[in-house]
Amino acid sequence: MQPDIQYIGEHLFWGKAGNLLIIVAFVASLVSAVSYAFLLRTNDISWKNLARKAFAVHTFSIIGIFCLLFYLILNQRLEYYYVWEHSNSIMPLKYILSCFWEGQEGSFLLWMFWHSILSWIIIWKSGEWEAGVMAVISMVQVFLVSMIIGVVVFGHKFGSNPFVLLRDHPDFANFPFIKMPDYLSQLKDGRGLNPLLQNYWMTIHPPTLFLGFASTVIPFAFAVAGLLRKRYTEWITPALPWTFFGVMILGTGILMGAAWAYESLSFGGFWAWDPVENASLVPWMTLVGAAHVMLVFKHKKTSVLSSYLLSILTFILILYSTFLTRSGILGNTSVHAFTDLGMTGHLLIYMAFFSIVPIVLLVKNYKQISSSQDEHLSSREFWMFIGMLILLIGAIQVTSTTSIPVWNKIFHANIAPPPNPIEHYNSWQIPVAIFVCLLIGIGQFLRYKKSEGKVVLKKILPAFIASLLVTVWASFFLGDYRVHYYGLLFASVFAILANLDFILRVLNGKMEHSGASVAHIGIGMILLGALISNSKQQVISQNVKNVNLGKDFPNQENIFIEQKTDTLPMGEYFVTYKGKERKGVNVIYTIEYFTRNKTTGLKEKAFELHPIVQTNDRMGNVSEPSTQRFLTRDIYTHITFAEQDNSDNENSTGEYQPAKTHTVAVGDTFMTSNSFVILEGLSNDINRSEFGMNDSDVAVGAKLRIEDMKQDIYHALPVFVIKNLHVFSKESKVDELGLKFSFTQIDPSTGKIELTVNEKKSNKHEFIIMKAIVFPGINILWMGCILMMVGSIMAIRKRIARK
Amino acid sequence: MKKSHIIAIVIIAIAVAAILSTVADSSTYASFSVAAEHPKKVYHVVGKLNKEKPQEYNPQVDANLFSFYLVDMDGKERKVLLNKTKPQDFERSEQIVLIGKMAGDEFHASDVLMKCPSKYNNPKEDMKAGVKS
Repeated sequence: MQPDIQYIGEHLFWGKAGNLLIIVAFVASLVSAVSYAFLLRTNDISWKNLARKAFAVHTFSIIGIFCLLFYLILNQRLEYYYVWEHSNSIMPLKYILSCFWEGQEGSFLLWMFWHSILSWIIIWKSGEWEAGVMAVISMVQVFLVSMIIGVVVFGHKFGSNPFVLLRDHPDFANFPFIKMPDYLSQLKDGRGLNPLLQNYWMTIHPPTLFLGFASTVIPFAFAVAGLLRKRYTEWITPALPWTFFGVMILGTGILMGAAWAYESLSFGGFWAWDPVENASLVPWMTLVGAAHVMLVFKHKKTSVLSSYLLSILTFILILYSTFLTRSGILGNTSVHAFTDLGMTGHLLIYMAFFSIVPIVLLVKNYKQISSSQDEHLSSREFWMFIGMLILLIGAIQVTSTTSIPVWNKIFHANIAPPPNPIEHYNSWQIPVAIFVCLLIGIGQFLRYKKSEGKVVLKKILPAFIASLLVTVWASFFLGDYRVHYYGLLFASVFAILANLDFILRVLNGKMEHSGASVAHIGIGMILLGALISNSKQQVISQNVKNVNLGKDFPNQENIFIEQKTDTLPMGEYFVTYKGKERKGVNVIYTIEYFTRNKTTGLKEKAFELHPIVQTNDRMGNVSEPSTQRFLTRDIYTHITFAEQDNSDNENSTGEYQPAKTHTVAVGDTFMTSNSFVILEGLSNDINRSEFGMNDSDVAVGAKLRIEDMKQDIYHALPVFVIKNLHVFSKESKVDELGLKFSFTQIDPSTGKIELTVNEKKSNKHEFIIMKAIVFPGINILWMGCILMMVGSIMAIRKRIARK
Repeated sequence: MKKSHIIAIVIIAIAVAAILSTVADSSTYASFSVAAEHPKKVYHVVGKLNKEKPQEYNPQVDANLFSFYLVDMDGKERKVLLNKTKPQDFERSEQIVLIGKMAGDEFHASDVLMKCPSKYNNPKEDMKAGVKS
């Protein structure tokens, strides 16, 4: 037994309250799930009251946990591990929320929070469906709360508790200082937030994404409720607006993540097919499929089976995505997966439960659901169905490659992700996008049940011809362009124009019916913008001074700029590096861009960019790009290498920088900042009288040949002397290059000698290495995002109003 | 045969092709000696930085060339050339994954992924920074 230690300065009340609320939230969701299940069976109103009360208790507990954890982070209560792990005192207040959901526990809380909020809308609005849907959602909550409960049952730890004390955490238990009563005063500060997450997008991207995640539970819960109540088709109509809500919110959340990547990550772009990005894209694709087959049901009373399958599949994929990002299985393959908290088994049980139960129910009721009706080839529903299948293929492909670490685990294989992931994914996803765009363009003009082929053809002809003309026109300046890029160019322009045409000619500009068309124009623009900015992006920071390593191994993408001295051509611009300034943890660089005035021929300043290096001793420095936005293109600039101030250098006195030591043999080469040095040989032919030496003394010279960047040759001869058993070196200077050599040691056994080199401080020029990329047409993408959102809201509003 | 059956067969065929392409396009985690046997193939090589041997990066001479020595999982050491700037905090990496090919005795990496102890849970490392000395 450990003796009780009276710790000083701890605030244990909040953590105890938090733990109590977690238990209450867990029990309440369980009570709610069971009561709703009984309500479903018996239709006894008393169960309903109990269930609702339990869910109210659950909701308040979740909100309470949320507030407590927030309070602890805000007040920097470092006795709590979560607070210590994710925050520190130097971090700006606006990132408190980012700290909250940096860890798994906080993001689980966020997810549960949205589930409870959405549930109250269900309780309020869905009438007879409340029991079935809420029974499912409550059960989902039971599992989610268990992820943060952190209790040990039969030697297994379930979940990771956000209120664990630092001194109880296994990582700390063995530190002696943690046993001191005043350990808290020894803690300087928390670990702090990962610098990558210190960005304003990180305060709104996670809540939006998790609202999107949370909204996928609703069509799933409706589908399961439909099976439980044996009301096989009636669930689709009330679930439909929710499905489109999910499409909109999840889509927005994913695109916000893309905007964050574009603005603050330095991989240069908004989408990199990173496993974590993929894990949220895949459920979105199947959710879009679900929404459209449900739409088919609404008009034609078919597609019941596919509505079930896709609604259920989407939620399973959300769970799979949770598993991928939180079990640590992605390991080396992703930059932003969570760390492993030993939840793998727990997550697998969660996924298995919510996969097996609905699938068993589906199989049992299969006869009532399946239909054998064959749709007509010219009907709208047939092509919507095909579109859904194409999305499904896209989803399968992305999942298949993203799951490589999972395949490795299952099959004990050793395969690595594709060396060029973007090429790999694009080779599949561009054809998917082409087909989807064509269907988006044609779809609106088709009728349900059956359409007249000739009429449809006539209707889509104007948009078709216009898109063809745009593509041909574009080909003049796009030049050498791959076939499937042209395919997507045509298809996305066609999707935009056909829907525009539909709004103008068929709907006569009546906006209240045009929600779907507006959203589809948005999708077309997102794909068009992604195509142009990705395929025509150009790295303009071409470094020409480099040692050429051949075509197979190009090395020119980053440009070297010396402060004040260089004005380098870069694309149509000239750039200089003006200087840097430190503000808190950030070092802000000033890069000036000039253009040449066509009439005067003089260089004129065009704009200034301020890329940032955020210094972080513990997690490493992070480079944040800066982007000049124009209507038609962006100039993206980021620092790929810069020496950070080394205080020793500043403090050393004299005209030379501290020495660098090289151990070399005759014939070896080494480098200084401005030259190559070769040790040509050793020489005994030294003017010994200069040193006043005896015969027993030793003097050896190192013959150095120095070649600078202009290929001028210099020589130096530092001498190693042992006189009266005292060792010293006679320096040799090359003033033209600001170099000073000393010969400090000889190792007779290896024949190697030690040389030190001092460089003059004036040799050291402040410099940066940066990368600059032009992204054309990226604003088409951002505008498309906005249209997609606006169009979806219009369509959902109309659907709700129509009910 | 109904239309839906034909469609189902086509869809399954394409899905199988998609899964096969995962395997076809994938790379392999390998050692330097395996990579040397197939000098044209791109491999992922996992290993550790040899901190004793020199890392050369002279931006004034070549901003896009960084060289270092890596010891792979079999204990074999090779010189590695990377055609990029020197990555941030390179010395602190615990494990390195190289993506590239063997060229003679050198490994030409087009990308490196680093696993840094600090980005993962390593309280010992953190405590040095976190506790007053």
